[in-house]
Amino acid sequence: MEDAVKRLKDAVLNYEMETIADLAKQALKDGVDPLVAIDKGLAEGIKTVGERFGRGEIYLPELVMGAEAMKAALAVLEPAVPKGQHRASAGMVLIGTVQDDIHEIGKNLVATLLASNGFEVADLGVNVPSGDFLKKVDESKPKVLAMSALMTTTMPRMAEVIAPLKKKHKDIKVLVGGAPVTDTYAKEIGADGYSGDASGAVDVAKKIVR
Amino acid sequence: MSAMSYGIQRGIHFQVLSDEDLERIHWGTLHVLEKIGVQVDSPTCRKLLKDNGCEVDEKTRIAKIPSHLVEEALSKKKTSITLAGRNPKYDAKLDMNHSHMTANGNGAVAVDFETGARRPSTKQDLVKSSRIIDALQNVHIHWPMVSSTDQQASTVHLHDLDASLNNTEKHVMYETAVTISDAKGLVEMGYIAAGGEKEYRRRPITSCLQCTYAPLQHDAGVMDASLELAKSGVPLVFFGMPQPGATGPATLVGSLVVGNAEVLSALTMTQLATPGASVIYGMGNAPLDMRTTIRAGGSPEHALSSAMATELAHYYGMPSCVGVSATAKEPGDQAVLEYYTGCVGPLLAGADLMCGIGLLEDSSCLFLEQIVIDDEIVGAISRLIRGEWADDVTMAIDVIEKVGPGKDFLAQRHTLQHMRSEFFMPNLIDRRSFDAWSQDGSKSLRARARDKVKTILATHKVPALDKDIQKKLDGVIEKYKKPMWGGESKTH
Repeated sequence: MEDAVKRLKDAVLNYEMETIADLAKQALKDGVDPLVAIDKGLAEGIKTVGERFGRGEIYLPELVMGAEAMKAALAVLEPAVPKGQHRASAGMVLIGTVQDDIHEIGKNLVATLLASNGFEVADLGVNVPSGDFLKKVDESKPKVLAMSALMTTTMPRMAEVIAPLKKKHKDIKVLVGGAPVTDTYAKEIGADGYSGDASGAVDVAKKIVR
Repeated sequence: MSAMSYGIQRGIHFQVLSDEDLERIHWGTLHVLEKIGVQVDSPTCRKLLKDNGCEVDEKTRIAKIPSHLVEEALSKKKTSITLAGRNPKYDAKLDMNHSHMTANGNGAVAVDFETGARRPSTKQDLVKSSRIIDALQNVHIHWPMVSSTDQQASTVHLHDLDASLNNTEKHVMYETAVTISDAKGLVEMGYIAAGGEKEYRRRPITSCLQCTYAPLQHDAGVMDASLELAKSGVPLVFFGMPQPGATGPATLVGSLVVGNAEVLSALTMTQLATPGASVIYGMGNAPLDMRTTIRAGGSPEHALSSAMATELAHYYGMPSCVGVSATAKEPGDQAVLEYYTGCVGPLLAGADLMCGIGLLEDSSCLFLEQIVIDDEIVGAISRLIRGEWADDVTMAIDVIEKVGPGKDFLAQRHTLQHMRSEFFMPNLIDRRSFDAWSQDGSKSLRARARDKVKTILATHKVPALDKDIQKKLDGVIEKYKKPMWGGESKTH
């Protein structure tokens, strides 16, 4: 059983995104506890990958492929987790690119880095209507809402979400980012955190959920 | 096209001169040699030329060299020369397909890395700079960067070589032996370090760059030493240095003709004395700056002249060695601008050897920081000149189809396979965001270079020479402490 968990961890470390789902299925068949497989296998693997990236030992595509491998295995293991139990997590983050903006790569990188640092990430995609952000927050009660805007014209959408959100959920932290966003602007619209790059976003997220 | 081979893989080059231009320059040069002649100060060399049918005037010391002698010398040249490293993994093959970067050399001033004091250079500066060159990925051949001015005068160049051989495993090219005695000492040390004459001749771990004197002169001591070196199996670079506008015509091509006449006449004398000697074609025509009287080493004209000299060398079937330097007084913006300009032109044109990086004030002042900054410049240019081609793998149509519109290529095996070879990964260039950079101390390029130098000096180990070899090298130095130059003592 320990072997199966280690195999899953190694599969993340080796970016086996095409074949890891089969490993996960086999692990379940062999009676491995899905929560153990996630926490001691996948999460440990992606943590190591994230640390290697942080030290500059591996490059971004390797980090993304590690995260893709984890995702593929999670898709098999998560549904098998008994109701009421929950995987260990640094906190849940709801993330998306704002309305009228289809820029995806920056948001994806932040999502990947957060996931590789122990956060549970729910990605709403791009061009997310402001109302949808609010609705999803009500449904899943995340620790952090992260929004990305790549254009000066779509930046104000972030303020449009933050104002009503802060009235209703004072405890949910908001993280914003994207090329035109600055620290000053983030403060102005009432965000709790801002970062100029994807790696920095993880540090900020860790700080604001503390 | 092995990516593993030593040196910079070269896949593209731009062209400055047409084949017709090169022909014209060649014939023009032959005309200069045959009709105008060159001044040869060495009686030995004049006799050599006279014995081989040149018209020699003993009073003016002008030798007129007939074209057939030059053509014969060119036919004996070597098209491929290997400059061996103490460690064979550093063997630099000048094969016309790879470029190699050298350190700059023979400065006499250093800015102390610890105190910032500008002072005469010492042997310890050579020790440090040699270890840094050994550690760097984009510098392939070492030069003694400064002079051991703290050592006894007649042995300075021997101490320079000693410090170099002891602190890098890369090939060591020294600069300008000016007497036969000089040459003999340097040869002796090379033989010892290589493990004997036979081994040295098979794998020469040292070489020498010899300068001619513009316009159209050959110093007696330099040429006598050159013949001694050639006879002893030391690969040579003959390096013409007319300064366009001052010691050569203002037109860059005119100065190229002057430099070419110097290099070809030196080659002719060498091949007459030692047929088949390893000679590299060298040229460093940096103009005299007409406002300051300073040699403009990092100028576009120097870069362009070096590119043209490379084309001429390749036209003759010889590996080229061309120069770069900077007039900047401190590491940083101006030095980077000058070194980038000076390196990129010749390397795009296919220079086989580029000398060299790391000195400022026109190759006279050593800053350890600049060495690592220049290494980064060469790294970027290496990527620029490596060459691109379109085939199934590089076009990646299958990957484009797999990903389709709207998704990214980050999690593709194709990306994983190519990211390490496809992208230049900078070491000093800081590509982080403003936030990340400012939180880390807002360090300038120079400050980051200082950090890198500190790390190298603290951690980089160079395997020492055999104790026995070290002792023998010390013995050679001791021997040359005797007064030279007709008994005149040079001790201080």
